[in-house]
Parts: sequence; C-alpha cells; structure tokens
Amino acid sequence: MIGRWLSLLAAQAIIRIVAGAVTLAAALAVTVAAAPVSLVAAAALAIAWLRGWEPRRLFTAAAWCAPMVAVWLVGTARTAPTWQHVAAAPYRAWTGFWHLAATGAVPHAAATIAPVAVPLGLVAGGLAWSYRIRSLAAGAGGLSPAAAVAFDQRQWQRQARAARARIAAPGSVPLTMRNDLIGAGAVIRSVRHRGGLVAAIGYQRLRSHQVVIGTTGTGKTTLLLRLWAGFMATGLRRHAAGLGAPPLLVVLDCKGGSDARRLADRVRRVLRQAGARSTAIWPDEASLSLWSLPPRQLTSTLVDLIEHGTGSAAYYADVMEALVGLAVEAPCGPPVSAADLLARLEPGWLSMAYAAAGTAADHAMIRSASRQLADVALRFRTLFRRLGSGLDGPGGFGDADAWYCILEGTDQIAVAEGQARALVDLLASFAVRGPARREILLAVDEFSAVSRRLPIWQLYERARSLGLAVQVSAQSWQGLGTSPDERLRIAASAEGGIWLLRTPEPEPVTALAGTIRVVQTSRYLRRFPIWSHRGSSRVEEVPVADPNLIRILDVGQTAYIYRGGVTYLQVKRLVAAPAAVGGVPASPAEPPAGLRAAAAPAEVSPRVDAAPPAGVSPRVDAASPAGVSPRVDAGAGRSGADPTAVPLPDISLLLDAAFGPEHSP
Amino acid sequence: MIRADGASALAAPGGRHPGRTGRHADGLIFTGEMYGVQLDQLTTVLDVSQRSVGAIVAKWRTAGLAEAARLGPGPRWVWLTRAGLADCGLQYSPGVPGLARLAHLRAVTGIRLALAGTPQYAAAGAYWRSERRLRAKIGGRLGLREHVPDGEVHWPDSAPVPWAGECWAIEAELTPKTVARTVMIMQELLARTGDYGCPAAQARVLGRPPRHARVIYLCSRAALPTVARARAALGSAGARIEIRGLPDGAELPSAGTTPP
Repeated sequence: MIGRWLSLLAAQAIIRIVAGAVTLAAALAVTVAAAPVSLVAAAALAIAWLRGWEPRRLFTAAAWCAPMVAVWLVGTARTAPTWQHVAAAPYRAWTGFWHLAATGAVPHAAATIAPVAVPLGLVAGGLAWSYRIRSLAAGAGGLSPAAAVAFDQRQWQRQARAARARIAAPGSVPLTMRNDLIGAGAVIRSVRHRGGLVAAIGYQRLRSHQVVIGTTGTGKTTLLLRLWAGFMATGLRRHAAGLGAPPLLVVLDCKGGSDARRLADRVRRVLRQAGARSTAIWPDEASLSLWSLPPRQLTSTLVDLIEHGTGSAAYYADVMEALVGLAVEAPCGPPVSAADLLARLEPGWLSMAYAAAGTAADHAMIRSASRQLADVALRFRTLFRRLGSGLDGPGGFGDADAWYCILEGTDQIAVAEGQARALVDLLASFAVRGPARREILLAVDEFSAVSRRLPIWQLYERARSLGLAVQVSAQSWQGLGTSPDERLRIAASAEGGIWLLRTPEPEPVTALAGTIRVVQTSRYLRRFPIWSHRGSSRVEEVPVADPNLIRILDVGQTAYIYRGGVTYLQVKRLVAAPAAVGGVPASPAEPPAGLRAAAAPAEVSPRVDAAPPAGVSPRVDAASPAGVSPRVDAGAGRSGADPTAVPLPDISLLLDAAFGPEHSP
Repeated sequence: MIRADGASALAAPGGRHPGRTGRHADGLIFTGEMYGVQLDQLTTVLDVSQRSVGAIVAKWRTAGLAEAARLGPGPRWVWLTRAGLADCGLQYSPGVPGLARLAHLRAVTGIRLALAGTPQYAAAGAYWRSERRLRAKIGGRLGLREHVPDGEVHWPDSAPVPWAGECWAIEAELTPKTVARTVMIMQELLARTGDYGCPAAQARVLGRPPRHARVIYLCSRAALPTVARARAALGSAGARIEIRGLPDGAELPSAGTTPP
C-alpha cells in the first residue's frame, strides 16, 4: 500500500516535470518560430524596464505602427491576385523571413517581416510588461514580497532619470502649448492622472487658487517662476487672440532681504522673455497709491492696518474708526497722501471741513472725539513711518504687466503684515474698480510671514468673482495658516491644484488627494528565504499620493495633486536672459513710466568726463548709487530738471539753415 | 537728396534691394518709413523731375510694391503695400495714410527733407528714426500711454559736429494743444532715458542720461504761441527745447493746387 502510494507520488512528480518541460519546450519553440516578434518584444520590454515606462506607452507605439501596416497591406493588395493572398500576407512574410534569413540576407529578411513583427512585438512586450508590473503591484510577483518594494524603488529611479533626461533636451518642454496648456516639466509618474511625456496644466488652473508647499532648496522658486512665466505668456497670447483680458501678475515676496532683490531681478528677466513688457518692483522701484481706494474702503483699510487690542481697547478702535472716517470722507474729498491724512487729524481741520456741509451728528462726533485725535494721529504717524512711502503713490497696479512686491517679513514682520494687508486691499479694489479688466494672479510667497494678519481665505472666497486667482506658497503645512482650520480652508479651496515639493510632513496634504484601492497579497513563507506563490489577496485603500515618496523627492521634483490624482514631475528650469552688464543695479532705481516721479537715488552723482575731445559734446554717465535710495520730493526728480548740468552746443546755425530763424510768438 | 554715388542721406541703412537701383530702393524705404509721401516730396527724395517720379511710381505700382491715389488736396500720395514693405524689409502693418493725418504726415516729411538738406546732416551721416519705426518697436500689445515723437534724429558719435552723439526728438505741431498737455509732452520727452519698446521700468530712470538731448518743435503759426508758453513753463529745462516754424512746403497744399 505504502509502495503504491509512493509510486503514485513519484508518478505525479514525473508527470509535472514532463508537463513543465513540454510547456517550456513549446514556449521556446513558439518563441524561436516567432523570432522577429520575440526580439521586438524583448527589446521593448528591456527599454520599458530601463526607462521606467508605463505599458501604455508600448501600446501607443504599436498603434503608431498602423500607418506602416496599412501601407504594407496596400502594397501587397496591389500585387496580390485575390483577397486570400492579402489575408495570407503575414504568413507569407513570416515564411519569406526564414527563407531570406537562411540565405544570409538578414537585412532584407528583417525588412520583410518588420510590418508584422514590430507592432505585434510591441503589443507582446506591452502585455508582458503590464503583467510584470501588475503582479508586483499586487504583491504576487517576484521571489519574495520585498521584490515589489525594490522593484518600485528602482522603477522610480529609472523614471526620474528618464524625466531628467527629457527636460535636458532643448525645447522638450515648451512654456506654452496648444489649447492654453502651460508646460511645467517632464512626467515621472502619475496616479489617476492621464500619463504622458510632458506635464502640462491648463491656463484655467492657474486662474484658480493654488497652493505650493516645499521647504527651502527643493526647487520651489524654479516651479513658481515657471508657473508665473507660463501664466504671463499664455495670458498675453490669449489676449492677443481676443480670448481674454490682459494678464496681471502680482507677487508678494514676504521674505524680503537681498535674496528677494535677486529673485525680483530674475523674475523680471524671465517675465520679459515670456512677453511682459514691464515688471514693477515695489517698493524699491515703483510705488502704489493707497489713496486711490474708495473712501469707505480706505477708511476700513487704514483702521485695519493698526492692530487693536480686545476688551476695553475695542472702545478706542471704534473711536479711531469714527475719526478716520470723518477725515477720509470729509466733504472736500478723500486725502491724497499720508501727510494729507495726518493734517486732517486735528480738531481745527475737521471743524472747518464740516462747518458748511457737516451734519449735527458729525459735529457732535468731532466734539466728543477731539480729545482722542492727537493719539490717533500719533498712531498713524508711526504706522506711515513704518510702512514707508511705497504706498504713498503715485502709481497703480494697472501700470505694469507684473508687480513684484518685496515685504520685509523676515526682520520686520509687523511692517510686512501691514503692507501685505494694504496691497491685497488695493489689488481687490483694482480688480473691482480698475479702469480695464485684467486676469489677475496674486502669488503670495512665504505666506507664513504674513499669515497672522492676512486672512487670505477670505480673499479666496470672493476672489473668483473678481477675476482674481490666488497662489499661496509656504515652506510647510503649518506655514499655510495659524490654525488647522485655516490651513485646511486654504488647501481645500485650491481648485487649481496643490504643488507639493519635498517636505517632512506631507500627510495633511496627501490626505486631500484621497485613497485608491489596490490588491494586497500575503504570501506563505515556506522556509526562509523561499516564499510560496500561494496566499490570499484583499483589497486595501492606500493614499493616492504616497507621503513617503514626497519625503524623498529630489530637487526640482514635485507632486501635483489635483482632483484625486497625482502627477509626479521634474520641473523644467527656465533660463532667464542674462542681466544687463554695466547698468544700474536692479534694486535702487528703475521706476516704471508713469508710476511715480518720486524715487531717486540719494547719492546719484553725474560723472562728467574730465576732458572731452574737442568738438564732441561731453557725455554724462550715471554713477551707481552707493546705498539704498530714500525717497525725495516729486519735484526734485521731475523731468524738467537739467540732468546733465552741461551747456549744450549751439545748434541754431543748423536749425536756421533748415527751418529759418526762430520766430517770436 | 540722393547723392551722386547713389547713396542716400535720407533712407535707412541696409535697406537695399539687390535687384533694384539704390535710388529707387531708398525711395521705397523712405516712403515706407513715413507712412506715405506726396509726389512732390518724393520728387525731392529721389532727386528727379516731376515727370520721372510719375513713371517711377507707375513701375512700383505695376510691381505691386506701392499704391498711389489722391487722398486730399495737392499731389497724389504714394504708400507701400504689404509686398512693398516686405520687399524693403520693413515689418510694419500696411495701410492707406489716414485722412486725418495727411497734413501731419506731410509736415513731418517736409521737416525730414529740410533737415536732410543741410550740409551738416549729410556730413555727419545723421540718421532719421521715423515715428513708424518707433511705434513698430513699441508694438501693439499694450495700450500706449507714452508719447511717441514724430521722429528722432541720431547724430553719430564720430560726426564732425559739436552735437555729435546726441539724439533729438522731433515734434511737428500743426494745431495748438493746451499748454498743460504740451508741457506734459515736453517733460516726458526730456525725461525719457530708455529706448522706445524697452520695459516700462527702464523708460525713465533717474540718474541716467536722458535719451533726447533736445526736443525740436516745428510749429505752424497757430501752434507757435502755445508751444512757446509751454517751454517757458518748464523753466530751466526749456533750454533743451528749440522752436522753429515749419519749413516751406511742409504744410498741405490748398485744394486749388494743380496736381502733377
């Protein structure tokens, strides 16, 4: 009995081995018989593995062979007597291949079989590659469960390497593409997003709110520059085509310092290449006028710029609002400068201003609050001194294609907060009442510096109707707001997507991308290190955006989270035109025309050549300003001032000869 | 105006057509630069007789390079077609000179011809940069807020004249504006530091040398008092403004003039 049972076991083992050998031999025979297809499939598989391609790419390549197959079939049909001959063409090509290969005409043989072998090989390679990926993703492939992890890591490295190689090619990622797409970089991997070679987002996404999170040195600035330039280039193109209003980019750099100046210069050069004719840098080179706000809005903004306490201090806040309202909404019109407002904050002025047109309530308020006027004036005097003259005009957002506003949020947080508040109010007012409609993108970089007093989510909620999109960037999730609720509001309202660069705590953001169902398989361990291919599978929910992958992102790599999907991409760096050589440094003095006539370098001294050649008029060069430029009076910088202080040569002889003598009017 | 060697003191350099005589090519470029030219002024440009100029224009029309028509009082106007502009390498939008601008265009052409007729202009190799060229540099993407002069005259650094290296803004003033407006224009021209078409931030940079060393106003009798008052209002800066009357023949002929 035992002998029979053992014989049965041995027979079963022999049958299994023989069946396996027969199957292997059959597969080998088919592989050899279909050698051209096998070769193409193997090559496709190897390339897809090396480059980290998705199987879809091999199927797409096979589909692109259709014209070749069609031409080949048409050529065959023209010489074939019947349709049966056309149907048998692949078989004939196959037999022809072997005959030619046997005679040593390998190139001819390859050309004969190529129309059949290439598409079939690509499809076979794609199927094999898909099987491999799916089996490993399910945890069923490989010698051990760890094989799936190692495979995924290697694939990521290969995909990242391929993406880097792709963006290195000139012109591989255009800034603007058809259908108003903005090229951001090369796709590394995508989950629930449509794959492809180039990662591009629609212009309308930039017209919606976006969030960018990434620590220093991860390529955040490169990404932002790309997005801003893409917005500008596409917006200008759309405007030229009559499809939309001209774009307006307003960047609030809330970090400040010398880095901000360097970045501003880079932004200007990049935007210039993108088509922007003018980039104003506030407050170094251009100014804005807070006083262009409508009176009621001006009152509200001025009061909000000053921090108030709570409790009994609220009383003083009410008094201040009443007095500022009286000063701003006086019958003679709103103030035109900080000095004008300060001059109004005294009892004599208010009484005189309201003497003729004021109501009894106004007079009563002036009388009752007159004791507080000096204190209110003192607070505003302090405020204006801290804010500087950048908001004292002239100028408006409509004067340039782009504004780069530098707020000293690192060393003067309170000042930066006030400036940010005022700038946002000015921009909102411009969006509502501006002379011409603009498609506005407000980008707030290093938002954490001003998040305490800039309720950006309030702007979020009303911005869409104003034609204003907000892009907030911060170094971490915590930098998005002071409270978890505020952060969640900002991130959840980012209809244009979230850009996530390397950050140590990505979970709150990746959670917004949701989860995806995947098959997880547990495998039976026979004896280490041998795992059986038997086990059980179950469906599990895993995050669409893998937080661990976010943590290991390299410089320039980013995850774009949008509508429950994620695309990992390598951002293509924009190379700006070189800075002008020998010109005046970017920081002190380049006011946009018409913005203001008030900014002049304090230590600019005309340098006149000591001994100009005879007969040649002396040339004057502007020496580089030595320091940061404090403002001077508008009149001092007026065009009327003689900039050269050198008498001009007499040209009356020439003019008399050409036009006759000068007439007296 | 065309010198004996065929070179022109009027036309922009580098605009020669290999298959056409230099004189005709210069005339074409001149016409393109000035939007349009009346035949009597073209006669001066080409330095030919009135009869010859008609034949030359007929050839241009046959070749599809130019069009000619009587647009207003006086001789016929000639302007370049799209093919003509392309032939001259001028990237301007083609168009018939606007009726409302005819007098102004003639005045500016007259000013250019008068200036080019002086020996200093020819000796210095001065260069006229027309309003059309300036506007083309600015482009049409944004609304124009800046005032564009009717022309610029560039005097090369090596020119044998005391004002070598200067750039002048030329303004033809036929009808009087308000004094305030004229003052604003003067201030803008005097304060400008950047080239036309440069970023707005570079258009006026304090501390840099001004683009226009002087502004030359050529005025009709009607406009002269306003311009003079505006210059006086500028104070010391008015020293960089020269005012003269329009040269002879720069004003549009009356309706009764016999056309050639």
